[in-house]
Amino acid sequence: MNDTVVTDSVKRFKWVGTRPIRPDGVPKVTGKALYGGDYKVPGMLYGKILRSPHAHARIRSIDTSAAEKLPGVKAVVTSKDLPEQKFDYIGPERVAQNFWHITRNIMAREKALYEGHAIAAVAAISTSIAEEAAALIKVDYEVLPHVIDVDEAMADGAPLLFEDMITRGIEPAPTKPSNISKRLEFKLGDVDAGFKQADVVIEKEFKTAAVHQAYIEPHACVARCDADGQTEIWSSSQGHFQMRALTAAILKKPVGDIRVYPAEIGGGFGGKTITYLEPVALLLSMKSGSPVRLMMTREDVFRATGPTSGSSMWVKIGVTKDGKIVAADGIFKFQSGAFPGSPVMNGCLCAFAPYEIPNQRSVGYDVVSNRPKAAAYRAPGSPISAFAVESVLDMCAGEIGMDPLELRHKNACRIGTPTIQGPKHAHDGYIQTVEALINHPAYKVKLGPNQGRGVASGYWFNGGGESSATVQVNTDGTVLVATGSPDIGGSRASMALMAAETLGVDYSQVRAIVADTGSIGYTHVTGGSRVTFASGMAVVNATKSVIKDLCRRAAVIWDVDPEGVIWEDGFAKPAGSNVGDFEPLSLKALAAKASATGGPITAAASVNAGGQAPGFSTQFCDVEVDPETGKVTILRFVAAQDVGKAIHPSYVEGQIQGGVVQGIGWALNEEYIYNDKGQLDNPGFLDYRCPVASDLPMIDAVLVEVPNPAHPYGAKGVGEVNICPPMAAIANAIAAATGVRMTELPMSPPKVLEAIDAASA
Amino acid sequence: MSEAPARVVFTTGFSRRYTGGVTEFAVAAKTLRGVIREMDKQFPGLAETLAEETTVAIDGELYEIDFLRPIKPGAEVFFIPRIEGG
Repeated sequence: MNDTVVTDSVKRFKWVGTRPIRPDGVPKVTGKALYGGDYKVPGMLYGKILRSPHAHARIRSIDTSAAEKLPGVKAVVTSKDLPEQKFDYIGPERVAQNFWHITRNIMAREKALYEGHAIAAVAAISTSIAEEAAALIKVDYEVLPHVIDVDEAMADGAPLLFEDMITRGIEPAPTKPSNISKRLEFKLGDVDAGFKQADVVIEKEFKTAAVHQAYIEPHACVARCDADGQTEIWSSSQGHFQMRALTAAILKKPVGDIRVYPAEIGGGFGGKTITYLEPVALLLSMKSGSPVRLMMTREDVFRATGPTSGSSMWVKIGVTKDGKIVAADGIFKFQSGAFPGSPVMNGCLCAFAPYEIPNQRSVGYDVVSNRPKAAAYRAPGSPISAFAVESVLDMCAGEIGMDPLELRHKNACRIGTPTIQGPKHAHDGYIQTVEALINHPAYKVKLGPNQGRGVASGYWFNGGGESSATVQVNTDGTVLVATGSPDIGGSRASMALMAAETLGVDYSQVRAIVADTGSIGYTHVTGGSRVTFASGMAVVNATKSVIKDLCRRAAVIWDVDPEGVIWEDGFAKPAGSNVGDFEPLSLKALAAKASATGGPITAAASVNAGGQAPGFSTQFCDVEVDPETGKVTILRFVAAQDVGKAIHPSYVEGQIQGGVVQGIGWALNEEYIYNDKGQLDNPGFLDYRCPVASDLPMIDAVLVEVPNPAHPYGAKGVGEVNICPPMAAIANAIAAATGVRMTELPMSPPKVLEAIDAASA
Repeated sequence: MSEAPARVVFTTGFSRRYTGGVTEFAVAAKTLRGVIREMDKQFPGLAETLAEETTVAIDGELYEIDFLRPIKPGAEVFFIPRIEGG
């Protein structure tokens, strides 16, 4: 059963915190919503991308002549049609972009670096002709040795993806190239001295599989370029401003020439914050003179779009007999795929973040291998390191005979606790999630044979940043709220709720939409759990501007100074010496007088939102392990999360349940299975096993509300941290049920059975 | 009486690259722009790096670089690598 734990400081509101029907529900359940692949424009051509069958191969030549001659083919492009980019890491280290790499991921140049790497693209008058033409393209490959596993990629003598790649972050710089693109180290206190204070020290190695974001909707877009260079793109993404920026940079076009329209999105989870298709579709449109649609198949999605990193890790933790964590150390090696840029820095920074540990160190390695380039996935990096850290913590709790929640409670971070990156924690919320589970009735339920209970916690930064919103009052008093944030997790409902609350009008009067890049100010991606916080601030600010304008208009109607008017419960009311002199004016009445009082009532606001609070989640699960098959059945899953203030609690519960379910898939079944040629053998949902409803109990979401004072309604990001604890919680539950410690994901039946058999042998 | 300067802090890795290994500075400034300007005076060119490559934690609260962000007397201003999510 879902539950909410409220701290004393949470305010009660009329609309914020209620559960109205979602505004995007009807078109979605009736099949009318328009996703990326649904867009059609007159004269549209159909695109097809030819992909590498090899995991690693030098491209000697590409002959497109036969494809170009096929009747119905209007354009063929290869990497030669894309402008070359400077080799330069631009921007912050964690998210540094190197367009020399990006353009090579969009379309292979010197080498194909993974099976599925785009080699060439065709636009034709039908899909079948485009497919036929793609098959006519002759590519002369020199097949090279490949490497998939992260430890093998780091080993001496491993096949090199880039013969000149020197590891960054090591001084002096290595003289020999390798597949290690970067090394990072973060440190707090004195780790060696800390371990000397410990009564119990446990260290363990772990491996996690690369897993895909597994969004239902494959990538799709339509691009149209006019003869004057003016361009329109319709696409499904987590950020149409991001698609515009990346497409402009990759093709070296002015940003102002490109307008991107957001489609409904069938899931992204981080994987749609980057571009694969838009620049190629636009290039085909520029070359053919016609609009071009490109769509991926499910196989394309698995073979060519980012999963998150697989990893190899080592973690060591020292505790005293009375349960104080005195030292923690970790080495985190993350696959970045074929190009540098895994979320290993996040993994390092989040690993020990929920705890007050005086001595800690995290070392990270970013490693390339012949797999698709890793992309962001829900709290990128944090769930991976959490699996290792939370597993070792569980072992520590067992060794000193302490309840695992008590161990976490004893070491919980609070306001003022130093973090490994330097600043002190500025927000509470973690300890309240632990307490919510300590007090949860299900935590005391006795378990049966072959059953076990596991606990784990997780941390995620959450984001702020740039967002824009406009609020318009229509002539009948209804309200339109527009933002630049694609709605993935229910932001249209939460924006409308915050606008209704601020204005004091009924929720049903407010309609929220997602505006295109030509119709609203710049807005950063829907990612990093930032939208309700940052775009919500923009909406509240714009609404407050509208209220100020409405008061001014009422003052005009009443012939009083604007200061003599206040806004209350959806009405302009006389204030001060004017009290009682006039009847309050409703929003509808003022909207009807808009023309006479200054014209349309509208306001825009843009913010660079800061002061976002991090996300904390603590979860426990009960499992039953079949000793004959190794199958793990989830009996119960309870997830407590600090959500600040839930603007629309049903959506927040949905986020928690969704994150947990993705974590269960990551824990138990999901993995990429490569054959000895480095080709993916399970590029579809039949063989890449995501959890389905029949695999799962109802996930109990416990909303812990510790409001963030930096947000007008106390909101915190809620979309990501919920995926951090499940893998360790399940591993810990399996250990409790069987006595066997699983250290490698996925913990699929054959692996669990093998571990049980090995332990009993 | 003059107001307490802000305590500006860099990570070890950042300081190694940009500030000769010095991780802490006392800077008198009322806004983030003022902090960045003062740091740029000591290390010419640092302003662009700070503005483009970092997130700032002011007394632990995370912010994207926003020049107008007020800095209270005695505040801790910690420049850290920018974070993005999924």
